Amino acid sequence: MEKTILVDHLIKNFEVTVKKPGLTGAFSTLFSPQKKAVRALKDISFSVGKGELVGFIGPNGAGKTTTLKVLSGLLYPTSGLTQVLGFDPWERKPEFLKKISLVMGQKNQLWWDLPAIETFELNRAIYEIPKKVYKESLEELVNLLEVAKLLNIQVRRLSLGQRMRLELVAALLHQPEILFLDEPTIGLDLVAQEKIRNFIYDYNRKHSATILLTSHNMNDLINLARRVIVIDSGRIIFDGILDELIARFAKEKIIKLTLSKEINDKKLEEIGKVRKIQFPEVELRVPRSTAAVAASELLQNFPIEDLTIEEESIEDIIRKVFRGESKKSLRK
Amino acid sequence: MKKYLSVFRISFAQEFAYRLNFIMWRVRNVMQILLLFFLWTTVFSESGRTIFGYNKGEILTYVFGVLIVRAIVFSARAVDVAGEISTGDLTILLLKPINYFKYWLTRDISSKALNLAFATVEITILFSLLRPQFFFQTNGYSLLGFGISLIIAILLFFSILMTTNFVAFWAPQVAWGAQFFVIVVIADFLAGVLFPLDILPSVVQKILLFTPFPYLIFFPIQVYLGKIIGGAMWGGILISIIWLSILLALTNKVWHRGLLVYRAEGR
Repeated sequence: MEKTILVDHLIKNFEVTVKKPGLTGAFSTLFSPQKKAVRALKDISFSVGKGELVGFIGPNGAGKTTTLKVLSGLLYPTSGLTQVLGFDPWERKPEFLKKISLVMGQKNQLWWDLPAIETFELNRAIYEIPKKVYKESLEELVNLLEVAKLLNIQVRRLSLGQRMRLELVAALLHQPEILFLDEPTIGLDLVAQEKIRNFIYDYNRKHSATILLTSHNMNDLINLARRVIVIDSGRIIFDGILDELIARFAKEKIIKLTLSKEINDKKLEEIGKVRKIQFPEVELRVPRSTAAVAASELLQNFPIEDLTIEEESIEDIIRKVFRGESKKSLRK
Repeated sequence: MKKYLSVFRISFAQEFAYRLNFIMWRVRNVMQILLLFFLWTTVFSESGRTIFGYNKGEILTYVFGVLIVRAIVFSARAVDVAGEISTGDLTILLLKPINYFKYWLTRDISSKALNLAFATVEITILFSLLRPQFFFQTNGYSLLGFGISLIIAILLFFSILMTTNFVAFWAPQVAWGAQFFVIVVIADFLAGVLFPLDILPSVVQKILLFTPFPYLIFFPIQVYLGKIIGGAMWGGILISIIWLSILLALTNKVWHRGLLVYRAEGR
């Protein structure tokens, strides 16, 4: 497969000034600043093929956004190789910038005091989009994202969800081959999230665009990303199909019981972790390998009406990944 | 070229979004000029008096010259650059296939055009109210020199302003202070906004003329007034061109060094 993005042994360190609290602290920082190196990315390597949709997951501060910023040419890599569409992103050549787009959920490019259409026109000029292409592109995006009525309203008067959809229009007018999305659904309500997700999915299909996405929203990942890269403390700890991640990380099974009689839950604790108890329903977590044994033991020794063994939900697993709990279990 | 025309257009539209702000800024300019006008009128209250080689008409022409040249040279949008760097909004422009310097120069020019339009109206009003003695230059040579020195002044100020704002790459907290110091203290004082620099002792003048600052305001006005002509005029233009190339090279260097440490903060 053709490689659109190539990252090899990428390292990014930041130098930060350590600030002491209070007024005296502020003064001492001013005169004798203490520098500290923060290692944001510690030697990461991966590659992405054309048309792939990859989700980045990991806890806060893991290095997901930093990776996207290096790939879009904003940050100067400390060392290592990065290649996007055959370009070195750091050079920020116009031909490169015309083929990518970075959308940040918390940074807007729309001119705050003017209607969004003004920003679109400006982007048409900046990206040198031919008039015909611009018209078609705008029409398609406006229809897909349902923003026709919002184009001539001052951006500051719009809601966050409306603004986010217009941000997407502004970012995609030049039909980028690569799209970097940083928390595209942050702060949006469920309906708005769904709209954005459907759009990303369609865009990926229709234009065979390569999309890299970071999100804290589990639904974004479950519904969009076939492949996920898990980053934690600046290292990649998993890179593969989402299902594989789940298979690898699902170390427990869930046993659900319906009791016929109330019993002492201390006894249940001996068999597995009691997650929920609400008579007559009980939920137990047991290690994967002993699930069958635990189940037969339960059936023999407890007044049970019904018993099922279930897999952990994807949400639970990803939630653990976000909390950084995956570190030990995934790093071999 | 077309992209910068679009930048000019949207920047102009943006200025109008904050009408009140803009009007207050203009009012401040008018107040400042009135203050200078009455100050010098008082000083020259005896008729026929000359001070430091200036008579009343000349000094008033200087004051009005400051109003116009200042509106052209000092009004700039690039004061926002420091803020853009520290909030991480710079990211948005870095992602676009556009030259950062040309972008801000274009925005500056649109701001200057708007300010100049207002300054013209203000001057017409002040002129008809105060009826000062005013000096109109008719010599084509001096007018040409004035035009050239004005363009150099605009670019000089642009590079000084940009470099000052780039301090934010390393120290976002002090960028505003640095800007205030450079524009208000150094530029206003050493450029000759408060008084014509040739009232200073000649040694100080000579030293000053080897710095870039007089070429922002003082020099263009003196050329207009016909006080600096011929060899002195072209010599001054040469010095300012040398300074301009040094400062532009410095600005460019600081910019590239700054990008290396840029952190694209705020996500």
